[in-house]
Amino acid sequence: MTTASVIDQQFERDRPDREGRPMFQLIDPDGALTSVGEQVGVSVDLAQELYTDMVMARRLDKEALALQRQGELSLWLMSWGQEAAQVGSIRALRTTDMVFPSYREHAAALCRGISPADLMRQWKGAAHSGWDPAESRFHIYSLVLGTQTLHATGYAAGAAMERTDEVVATYFGDGAASQGDVNEAFNWAAAGSLPVLFFCQNNQWAISTPTATQMRTPLHVRAAGFGLDAYHVDGNDVMAVHAVTAMAAERIRDGGGPALIEAQTYRFGGHSSSDDPKRYRSDDDVASWDLRDPLRRIDLFLRASGVDEDFFETLTAEADAFAVDVREACKSIGGAPLDDLFDRVYVDEHPLLDQERDAFASHVATTGSEN
Amino acid sequence: MIEFALPDVGEGLTEAEILTWHVGAGDTIRVNDILVEIETAKSVVELPSPSGGTVTALHVDEGRTVDVGTVIISIDDGTGASAVPPATPREADVPAESPETAPDEEKPLVLVGKAPTDAAPRRRRLGARSGGAGAVAPATAGAPALPSVVPGQRVRTKPPVRLLAKQLGVDLSTVVPSSGDVISRGDVEAAASGSAAEVAPADGSSVRETRIPIKGVRKVTAAAMTRSAFTAPHVTEWLTIDMTRTMEMVSRLKADKAWQGVRLTPLVFVARAFLLAIRRFPEINARWDEDAQEIVLQHYVNLGIAAATPRGLIVPNVKDSQDLDLTGLAHAIDGLVQTARAGKTSPQEMSHGTITITNIGALGVDAGTPILNPGEAAILAFGAVRDTPWVVDGQIVIRKVTQLAMSFDHRLVDGALGSHVLAEVGRLLSDPGETFLYV
Amino acid sequence: MATMTLGAAINAGLRKAMEEDDRVLVMGEDVGVLGGVFRVTDGLQKDFAEGRVVDTPLAESGIVGTAIGLALRGYRPVCEIQFDGFVYPAFDQIVSQLAKMRARSGGRLSLPVVIRIPVGGGIGAVEHHSESNEAYFAHTAGLRVVSCSNPDDAFHMIQQAIASDDPVIFYEPKRRYWDKGEVADAPTRGLHDAAVLRAGSDCTLIAHGPTVKTALAAAAAAEEDGFSVGVVDLRSISPLDLPTLQAQAASSGRAVVVHEASTFVSIGSEIAAAVSEACFYELEAPVLRVGAYNMPYPPASVEDDFLPDVDRVLATVDRSLSY
Repeated sequence: MTTASVIDQQFERDRPDREGRPMFQLIDPDGALTSVGEQVGVSVDLAQELYTDMVMARRLDKEALALQRQGELSLWLMSWGQEAAQVGSIRALRTTDMVFPSYREHAAALCRGISPADLMRQWKGAAHSGWDPAESRFHIYSLVLGTQTLHATGYAAGAAMERTDEVVATYFGDGAASQGDVNEAFNWAAAGSLPVLFFCQNNQWAISTPTATQMRTPLHVRAAGFGLDAYHVDGNDVMAVHAVTAMAAERIRDGGGPALIEAQTYRFGGHSSSDDPKRYRSDDDVASWDLRDPLRRIDLFLRASGVDEDFFETLTAEADAFAVDVREACKSIGGAPLDDLFDRVYVDEHPLLDQERDAFASHVATTGSEN
Repeated sequence: MIEFALPDVGEGLTEAEILTWHVGAGDTIRVNDILVEIETAKSVVELPSPSGGTVTALHVDEGRTVDVGTVIISIDDGTGASAVPPATPREADVPAESPETAPDEEKPLVLVGKAPTDAAPRRRRLGARSGGAGAVAPATAGAPALPSVVPGQRVRTKPPVRLLAKQLGVDLSTVVPSSGDVISRGDVEAAASGSAAEVAPADGSSVRETRIPIKGVRKVTAAAMTRSAFTAPHVTEWLTIDMTRTMEMVSRLKADKAWQGVRLTPLVFVARAFLLAIRRFPEINARWDEDAQEIVLQHYVNLGIAAATPRGLIVPNVKDSQDLDLTGLAHAIDGLVQTARAGKTSPQEMSHGTITITNIGALGVDAGTPILNPGEAAILAFGAVRDTPWVVDGQIVIRKVTQLAMSFDHRLVDGALGSHVLAEVGRLLSDPGETFLYV
Repeated sequence: MATMTLGAAINAGLRKAMEEDDRVLVMGEDVGVLGGVFRVTDGLQKDFAEGRVVDTPLAESGIVGTAIGLALRGYRPVCEIQFDGFVYPAFDQIVSQLAKMRARSGGRLSLPVVIRIPVGGGIGAVEHHSESNEAYFAHTAGLRVVSCSNPDDAFHMIQQAIASDDPVIFYEPKRRYWDKGEVADAPTRGLHDAAVLRAGSDCTLIAHGPTVKTALAAAAAAEEDGFSVGVVDLRSISPLDLPTLQAQAASSGRAVVVHEASTFVSIGSEIAAAVSEACFYELEAPVLRVGAYNMPYPPASVEDDFLPDVDRVLATVDRSLSY
C-alpha cells in the first residue's frame, strides 16, 4: 500500500464523471410510451395542449425564417427543434414565476402570451427588446451569453428574502455554460440556497462548437458539484420535460434550494439565419436527430392514443392562419425615431442628453434625417 | 404586382448567383413556396416567395450573378400594377460563367447584421455658419449654448488676437469690438494705428535720453511715408490766393438759420472746390498700378481728410464724395473729424482713398511739401487763412489770404495737369461765383 | 452639524438611507460581519433585518449581476467593490447590462443600483489597489459617475445617489477616508453640481476626489506668491456641471485640470475640450491637464513621483500663466 494508492482510492469516486445519468424519458422517438411512461401514465389531454403550443411555435419559427430570407427581418435565430424543451418546461411553471431567457426561447415566449410582433421587433432592427417583462413575467432577451443567470439569481435572492414560494427560472445553452457568469450564478445560488431553476437546453452545438469541445463532464454532473440538485431529461420529449420541471420546481418551492435541468435537444437550423451549418456538421448528424423530432413523436403518440383527424386538421388550419398573422405582424413593425431615444437612457434629467436632443433636432431641420 | 428584389440575407451579401429556378412564368404559387436557389459566399440559400399568386416573369437567367436589390421575379398577386417597374438587372463584374475558377474573393462575412452598403452618404453643405468675428458660433452637439459673459468682466477675443494685441501693445480692455461682443483682429489693428507711442519709464533721475519703442501707428505711418516718398516722384506747386469772398460766404451761411445744423468750415469749401476741380480734370484722381502696368482712372472720389489725432496722423476718407452736396459733404467731413478725434476710426474708413486734403492751416502753418498718401496721385495742403495786404483794383487792401500747396505724382500727373487743377481750386475759392459754371 | 471622517460620513449616509427606505440593501465582500475593509459599512448588519446587509461570495460579476436582478425586483442595492482594481471582472455587467438596461428596454426598466468604489492611490498599497478608472465608466452612456472629496459631500451624495433611479458609480477617495470635516444636516447642492471652493482671478484648478485637497494646497501656496488661484470640485464626473466650469474658467481666463488618473484619454481631456469650446473667447491659455504618467500604477516606493502633487500642480499653473 503506497500513500499514492490510498489517496487514489479515497478520491476514486470524484474522478470526472464523463457519463452522467441517463435521460428521463416518458415517450420514445416513435411515439410509444417507455417503460417508465407506462408505469406512471401520460395525460393525453396535456399532450394535446403541449403539442398545440409546439406546432404554433414551429410555424412561427418557419415563417420568421422565410421573412428573413425575404428581407423583412435582418436576422432570425431559429428555435426549430427545441420546441419541446421550451414548451414542456415553461408550461410546468406558474405563470407568475419570473423567467430570464437567453435569445432563442421563442416557443416559451409564445406560451407567456408575447405577441409575434413583439417577438420579432428586435430582429427587424426596430428596437433592442420587444415586450414588457412586467406583463409576461418574461425578461427581455439577453444577447450577452449567460448574463441572465446572474440576474435571475439576484431576483431569486429577493424572493428568498421575502420568503415567497416563487421559482425564478432561467434558460441558457450548452455554450453559455462555459461563461464565468453562469458558473458564478451556480455557485451563488447554491451558496445562498436561492430558488433558481437553471434550465439548460443542450442543443449539441454552440455555433460550430460541439459539446464535446465545450465541456468535459455533462452539465448535470457539473451542477451537482456546485451544490445544485441536478436532472437530466430528453429535451425532445415534451411530457418528460414537463414532468421533470414540475417536480424540480415543487422541490424548490419547498425550500429545497436551486436546481439545474439539462435537457438534451437539437438545433435543426444554423445558429442564425447568417450561419451555414453544413460547413461544420454532417447530414448524418442532422438525420439522426430528425428521427427524434419532438413534434413527430407527439403526433404519433396522439394518433396512437386515439386522437382523431379533426384535431390535426383544425390545428393545421390554425397554424396556417397564425402564419398569416405572423407575416402581417412582421410587416407592421416600426421603430421609434432617434429623437425618442434621448429620453430613454436615464430616468432623471441629464444636461448633455438635453443638449444633444436639441442639436439633433436642429440638424434634422436643416439636413433631414437618415430615417 | 410584386416585384421581388434579391434581398440581403445577412451574410454580407452584395451579390448572388442565380442557381436554379424552382418556378417558371405562368406557375401558380403560394406564399413561402421556394422560388429559387441562390449561391452566396459558397453556400446555397433557398428564397421563399413573399406572396402567393401567378408568376409573371423571371428576370434573371440561371447562372447569372446580380446585385442585391435587383428585381429577379415578378408575381401577379392580384393587387394591381406595381408602382415600381422592374429594373434591368445589372451584371456584376465577376464573370459568372466559371465561379469555380474565379479568384477566391474576400466577401465580407457578417454573422450578425447587414453588410455595409455603398450608398453615397448625403452631406450637409459647408458655409452655413454665421459670419462676423463677433457673432457667437452655432452650438454643436455637446457644446452648451451658454450665454456670453456679462460685459465688463473679461474681454472676449480669440487666442491669436490676444497675441496680436500683446505684440502691438494694444490694451484689449480699451478696444470696443466693431461687431458683436468679440474683439476681432481688425479691431486690434485699428486700435493699434490710433494708439500713441508709449513713453518708456525713466530709469533714473538724471536721464539724458528717452527711448520710445517703434511700434503701432508710428511704425505703420513711417513705413507708409517711406514707401510713398521713394516710389512716386513728388512735385509740389504753390498758389497764394485771396479767398475773402469764400470766407465772407462762410460767415454769412453760419449765421443763416437755414444752415444751422450744418457745420460749415473753410475746409468744407476747399474740399468742395477741390472736388469741382477734380470733376473738370478727372485724370488727377487716378492711381499707378505698377503690377498691372496700368494707370487706373477712378470714377469715384474717396476724399481723404488728413487728421491729427491724439494717437497720431490718420487719413480717413469720405467715400463717393463726388455725389455729395454741400450739406452732405459738411456732415461727412464733420463726422470723420469727430470720429478721428475720439480715436474710433475704423480700418474701412481709412482704406481705398483716392485723393487727399491736408489742413495744415489748422496748425498755423502756411504751406509745405506734403507727401502723397500711398496709392494716390495728388494731395492738397490748405494753409492758414491770414489777414494779408493784397492788391485789389490797384489799391492795397487787407484781404483773407491763404496758400495752397499741391504735391502730385509726376509719373501720371504732368506739370500742366497739376497746375490746371491747382489753379482751378484757387479760382473757385477766390471767386465762388465761378461755381455757377459747373452745372 | 457634526464632525466626522469621510468614511464615517458614508457610513452615516448609508444608515440614513436604509432607515428611510426598506428597499435599500448593502452588498459586497466582507461588508457585513467585518464592516468592510475600510470599515465604511461598520455596524450596519447588526442594526438592520436579515438580508439588508449581505456578505456576498467573492465574485464581482456576481455582485453586480445579482444586484441587477434585485433591482429588477424593486430593490435599491448598494454594491461595494472592495478596491478599484477589482471592478474589472464586473465590467461587462456594469457596461453591457447596468448601463444599457433602460435604453434597451425602451425606457420600461430602470436599475437604481449604486456601485461604491474606493478609488485612487497614495496609500502605499500593492498593485491593483490604487487605480483611477473613472474614464471607462464616464464614457459609458447610461451610467452616472460621481466622486466625493470631503465628509459633507460623502454624507449627502451617497444618499442622493441611492435616491437616484439611475445606476450610479460612486467613487470614494480612499486616501481621504480618515480626513475629518464638518457635515451639515441638510445638503446644499444637488448630486451633479460642481462646487466652487475658492474663487480665483488668475487661474482655476478643476479637481475631483483625492486631488481636491491637493488643488486647495496648491492654491494656498500660489496665494503666498501673489497669485489668485481658484479651485472647483467637480463632484460629478458624468454628467459634468459645465456652466459652473465655464463661469470659473471664463472669469479667470485659465484652467488646469488635476486628477490622479493618467492623462491620456482621461476625463481631463473631456473637460479641456468642453471648457475650451465653451470659453474660447475668454481663455488666455489652453486648458492644461496634470495627472499621473501613462504607465500602469508603479510600486509604492515611487508613487509620490507618479501622482500629481502640489509642485506638479504649481508647475502647470506656471505654464498656464506663461501663455
